[in-house]
Amino acid sequence: MEHFLGLSGVLFALGFYGVLARRSAILILISVELMLAAVSINFITFATYLDPERFTGVIFAIFAITIAAAEVGLALGIVLRLFRDRGTSNVDAADELKW
Amino acid sequence: MSEVVQFNYSLLVPEYVLAVTAGVVLLADAFRAELKLGRGTVPWMVVAGAVLTVLASIVTAGRTGEFAGLFAVDAFTTFFRVLLAATLAVVVVGSHEFVTKHIRHQGEFYTMLVFATLGGTVMAASRELLTAYIGVELLSFSLYVAVSLAKRDPRSGEAGLKYVLLGGVASATLLYGMSLIYGAAGSTSYGLIAEHLAKDSEGVHMALVLGLAMVIAGLGFKASAVPFHMWTPDAYEGAPLPVTAILSATSKAAAFALILRLFAGPLLPVLRDWQWMIAVISLLTMVFGNLIALQQTNIKRLLAYSSIGQVGFMLMAVVTMSDVSASALLLHLGGYLVTNLAVFMAVIALYNQTGSEEISDMRGLAESNPYLALVIAAGLFSLSGMPLLAGFTTKFILFQAAASGGYLWLVSIAVIMSTVSLYYYLQVVRQMYVLQADGSLIDPQSPDVNGPRWRLTATGYVVTAGLLAGVVFVGLYVSPLAVAANRAAAALFS
Repeated sequence: MEHFLGLSGVLFALGFYGVLARRSAILILISVELMLAAVSINFITFATYLDPERFTGVIFAIFAITIAAAEVGLALGIVLRLFRDRGTSNVDAADELKW
Repeated sequence: MSEVVQFNYSLLVPEYVLAVTAGVVLLADAFRAELKLGRGTVPWMVVAGAVLTVLASIVTAGRTGEFAGLFAVDAFTTFFRVLLAATLAVVVVGSHEFVTKHIRHQGEFYTMLVFATLGGTVMAASRELLTAYIGVELLSFSLYVAVSLAKRDPRSGEAGLKYVLLGGVASATLLYGMSLIYGAAGSTSYGLIAEHLAKDSEGVHMALVLGLAMVIAGLGFKASAVPFHMWTPDAYEGAPLPVTAILSATSKAAAFALILRLFAGPLLPVLRDWQWMIAVISLLTMVFGNLIALQQTNIKRLLAYSSIGQVGFMLMAVVTMSDVSASALLLHLGGYLVTNLAVFMAVIALYNQTGSEEISDMRGLAESNPYLALVIAAGLFSLSGMPLLAGFTTKFILFQAAASGGYLWLVSIAVIMSTVSLYYYLQVVRQMYVLQADGSLIDPQSPDVNGPRWRLTATGYVVTAGLLAGVVFVGLYVSPLAVAANRAAAALFS
């Protein structure tokens, strides 16, 4: 169980690092996906080891995956709008709103 | 295991009505040409749906349902159903003219607002982590889209992008925290979590504290508490005005509904572990929100920071969690919603006329439209907590509840920050009442010299007058709202 939780912790940290370090909106989205994958691993691990007779965690993971997919579709739509406005998907170009 | 579970689905009628409204509105707009509907039909359908939701919530108010511990229908849920659906109706009525001019895809726009309201009621009713999460995402996704729907305004797309990316990170953090709480307590149902944590929380302490911190970070983002507030000013400024109103009303109210459900129920046994975290966040939020508001020149951005400051005050009541402070928080939330909507509807009416969001362009409003200046001034005074208006009464009760909960130092800072907030609200009032359109002082001897007078539309008058009346009513005669808040808080702790 510790191994799985460790893996999920590392994935979450990597995703968070990616969000902070990447400048392309698409790569930031992929990093967010990484964080959500870490969540799913966590849920399934807890469900398997701590709560084997019910499967709440697994159901939660399925919902998390589905909602994450919806989120990516939606975010890509908004990135497209930015791309049409500015000709780039780089988040540094989105600098009109400050303070 | 095969017992037949009987649910009383009639208790969910308000949610059904909202969901059906969203679908019907989307289809009606898509087939508007075939159905020969006029331009005004779709928004009135939304208003009808919202009013029906309010009525259905009031009709089901006396009855309660559990839905196997997933979804509670009680006085607390009813309180938020009425509040959120009424907000939806007011915003749609008040922004019809704005939407026709400045929004692309109007059917989708209204659908998103309805779905956001539905997400908010689900958040208020959920008594289980997964249900709560689905409510959160329904609300957030709808708002991500709605924020980016302004026509010909690149700020809108930018605001949407920032909101969706940061929102994604916040959701992931919230979910990770939920998974740790699930691991620590072995269940996602609030009732079972409370039972488990009341028994022992020693063995799983690390995971629990980490999970709490992450849940607080995720929910802090949704409620826009400092230091998770970065998206708020940008999203407020970039979003079309009606969406900004919804962001400041529905999104805040729903976030606090979820926070109350979560922290007054399953997490109450581990109060010691999270109380200090929320106290620190509350302090940071009220200080930074109010101080940064001092230097804003755009009215939407000013209201964004002012709402961050208000969130800081509301979080105080979460710190001293009890039925008294929960009731005070609900009361303040109600007063804040009415006041904030009054300001936003007046600003929308002003924007329809002037097309500007800069505070400096509000100069001379007392001359060109004294009524609108009065509404904005009354709303801002109420937000700052002037007596006779809603903000004073509800804030007074809120501060009192927090003080009697033993956090006198936090309340002292809140009082100071409340005074600071008066300064920037008064700046706006000064622009409207003291300065003329060219920036010179108004000469009291010969008023009415420059700038022609203009009038609001009829709906504009009705909406702002109704909200103004609400602000004064809550300020002078608070007991109906207080009774509702008391009942809701009692249901929370039963």
